[in-house]
Amino acid sequence: MKITALLVLKVGPDESKDPVILANATDVSSFGFFQKSSVREFIVFVGRTVAKRTPPGQRQSVQHEEYKVHAYNRNGLCALGFMDDHYPVRSSFSLLNQVLDEYQKNFGDAWRAAQADNTQSWPYLDGALSKFQDPAEADKLLKIQRELDETKIILHKTIDSVLERGEKLDSLVEKSSDLSAASQMFYKQAKKTNQCCTML
Amino acid sequence: MPVKTTSYRDRTHEFESLVEKLKKPSSLSPASTAPSSSSGGGFDGNPTSAPQETTRSAAPIQSEFNKRASRIALGIHQTSQKLSKLAKLAKKTSVFDDPTLEIQELTTVIKQDITALNSAVVDLQLLSNSQNEGNLSSDSSAHSTTVVDNLKNSLMTTTKEFKEVLTLRTENMKVHENRRQLFSSSASKESSNPFIRQRPLATRAAASAAISPPPWASEPSTSSQLFPRNQAEGESHPLLQQQQSQQQLAPLQDNFVQSRATALQNVESTIHELGNIFTQLATMVSQQGELAIRIDENMEDTLASVEGAQSQLMRYFNSISSNRWLMIKIFFIVILFLMIFLFFVA
Repeated sequence: MKITALLVLKVGPDESKDPVILANATDVSSFGFFQKSSVREFIVFVGRTVAKRTPPGQRQSVQHEEYKVHAYNRNGLCALGFMDDHYPVRSSFSLLNQVLDEYQKNFGDAWRAAQADNTQSWPYLDGALSKFQDPAEADKLLKIQRELDETKIILHKTIDSVLERGEKLDSLVEKSSDLSAASQMFYKQAKKTNQCCTML
Repeated sequence: MPVKTTSYRDRTHEFESLVEKLKKPSSLSPASTAPSSSSGGGFDGNPTSAPQETTRSAAPIQSEFNKRASRIALGIHQTSQKLSKLAKLAKKTSVFDDPTLEIQELTTVIKQDITALNSAVVDLQLLSNSQNEGNLSSDSSAHSTTVVDNLKNSLMTTTKEFKEVLTLRTENMKVHENRRQLFSSSASKESSNPFIRQRPLATRAAASAAISPPPWASEPSTSSQLFPRNQAEGESHPLLQQQQSQQQLAPLQDNFVQSRATALQNVESTIHELGNIFTQLATMVSQQGELAIRIDENMEDTLASVEGAQSQLMRYFNSISSNRWLMIKIFFIVILFLMIFLFFVA
């Protein structure tokens, strides 16, 4: 369940121009030292290709070797995520949504004028990459579902312990009723010894 | 024209009786065209010939309508039979013995039948509208509209049953998946396999059926959400051929949105179950509270009896320990024994 890269690109209206990279965050720590730069270029290239082919207002998922690339194009601003096969689709798209919202909040519409690749790193994207390695963070629904499941487990345990308590209470009831009967016998005996034989 | 007054026969009564017969809703058949055409042949220049011709031309159209209606009804009947077979298959699935292929084939066949029947009913309705414009009586138009409505209703019930069967099937599949997860605990199938570009899933009905495409067209999409993806893709291939022109991106969009919808529904049902569990817990605890009260009563009874017994024993002890009476009695008894002893010895 790993996110390898998050990209934000600007996709021009005509398909002849390549998309312009606006932000880039990659996690290439799992590759060997000498492969890191080539993996980064590979990611950039594939990202451009997928973004170019995603029509505006659409979401798309492409399988490329062992990665899935999820793309979301919103009016020319496109966010991509390179994730592995186990990452749930929904979380990835909600993550891309969040990234796009954050980007628009931070940079407004300045990206529309960008013509060259932006090489500065955007700290939010890097933070997002590390934070959202766990899909539950990105997708609130998943988090809620997980918490609800945990609560259900806890409740089941509670019910089990309540049932045990019920059994113990049952045995207590029996014992106390036996005790009460025995004490009544005791009282009667005592009364009998007291009242009965004044002669002895 | 004097020739006219002698050369015609007044067959108005026959015509009226024919009209009566034709007015009956179920008796409209090609057999009725025979007497009309034969009696039409007996006329020659007659005021009643014009309506006769329209009955002659209307009757074939009516019979055509009837033929089509009967064909549609037969189709609906066959579809409902297939549907009952599908329902039986869906009910009897077990974890390891899924007749999945059969079910899918049957499902696609039934879907195609329903689409065909839909379009046929629409055509029938158009036909009845077109022939109602220049027609003889309001009764036959009422009849045709009634027939069309009946067919539509039966088709609607069939579609609803189909939907129910599909939901039953998806529930079974969910149960199977849960059981499989319980027993195998292998790779988590809950993370749904995302869609691959090469296998788009066509969902929205570009089909022309106007009457009930939404209920059954949304079924493939919802059922595909709940099925494991592979099965859904296998099911979609027949649909794929129908709707090749569909863009593959719109379904992905739909699936994203629908997966969120299903996740929301899951969350809602989980919360509902939690509510249930809480109420059960509350009942159990209240019942146990009653037990606790009983225990308390018993203990109080015990306390009272033991205290009473203790007081009795105290009294007894007091009476034992401080009784002069007792000493006098003992003294008397000793004296008595002494006296008896002395009596017998001496």
